[in-house]
Amino acid sequence: MARGDAEFVEFVHAASGRLAHAAYLMTGDHHQAEDATQTALARTYASWSRVRRDDPYAYTRRVMVNYIVDNWRRPIREYPTDEIPHRHRDDVADEVTARRWLQIALGTLTARERAIVVLRYLFDLPELQVARELEVSVGTVKSTSSRALGKLRQTLVELPSTPGGQR
Amino acid sequence: MNETDRLRAAIRATEPEGWGQFDVEAIMREGRRLRYRRRAVAGAGVMLSVAVAAVGVLVVLRQPGPVEPGVPPVVTATATTPGAGSTVDPTGPPEKPALGEVLGTGIWYGGDERVFYFVPVEVPRAAGVTIGLVAGRRSPDGRLTADFLLNDFEGSDRRPGFHQIGYEPSAVVVPADPVPTFGYFVGPAARIVGSVGKRPVAAQLSRWSEDSDVVIFWFHPKSLPPGQRLDGILAWDAQDRQL
Repeated sequence: MARGDAEFVEFVHAASGRLAHAAYLMTGDHHQAEDATQTALARTYASWSRVRRDDPYAYTRRVMVNYIVDNWRRPIREYPTDEIPHRHRDDVADEVTARRWLQIALGTLTARERAIVVLRYLFDLPELQVARELEVSVGTVKSTSSRALGKLRQTLVELPSTPGGQR
Repeated sequence: MNETDRLRAAIRATEPEGWGQFDVEAIMREGRRLRYRRRAVAGAGVMLSVAVAAVGVLVVLRQPGPVEPGVPPVVTATATTPGAGSTVDPTGPPEKPALGEVLGTGIWYGGDERVFYFVPVEVPRAAGVTIGLVAGRRSPDGRLTADFLLNDFEGSDRRPGFHQIGYEPSAVVVPADPVPTFGYFVGPAARIVGSVGKRPVAAQLSRWSEDSDVVIFWFHPKSLPPGQRLDGILAWDAQDRQL
């Protein structure tokens, strides 16, 4: 295997987990999330010689997020609440509560709002970088983010329990 | 803890393990295919002011479609606005005649009707691909305007079975004259049914005038919103045998 290929394999193993989770948050559907992640990784590999020395993770994320926003076709619809979370932390009930809250909260957002929420709060990207990755203005990021948080705040008010909070 | 903290905590609390078990070999194969196609197209010197969507087989002629960052717009083939008196869009592809009859669908946008027709195409290193299916519009004076060209990019365009399926690029940003989901099947198909989740959606069919083995199909926008991706598609013959 060529050195570039070995690097790509290593990159996939290191990056695909969080990318897939981000895709799942944006689509609410495991199948679509896997499809988006694989598509982004394949496009990254197609340009690997060019992007490997730059920032392949940012490149893949940008391709994936824009792919989802461009191809998004129906409201977020599936956050199974009856399945056991994959990771068994100390308190499974907290995870189930968080998952349920996410299902409701993200379901109120548009595709672009979800993309901004995921880039801001999963990847912790500053607004300027979010704007670059989505190819929109910083003002659009600010206003969209504000609108999304407003919806989330409303969802939070309407729910009796708080997700991911202190036990 | 405010709502952004709760959001951040919830997002991270639900991050599962087990993601990332992808087939790296399959991803690399697809990546090589993309890379090869870009080079083949660049080598052929084909550069038009249209863009390829849906991994290089769906050419959006109405307007440039979404292009992944860093990838220049490319096109794998050409399409036409047939008719001696037709006006060619200055940014459009060179004119070629339609092959066979132009198929009317009964789908109207004001005075324009959605039509389908085949045109000749040339695809670099794919000698077996000579036709492409165009989704166009026919104006009241008979003038044709091509919106989408759908063609294979490898193998044979008469290979039995389903070929590429054309979708409106986005189900969110839909133009006033959206292209119905469409494609063609080679074989004795009498019924074609797609599925979205568990919901079956029947396609409308018509045989191509130049080759009765070629069945053009499309999904009426009222039964399948343009841009909505199918989860599956099957064909049956006149004896109701699955093909």
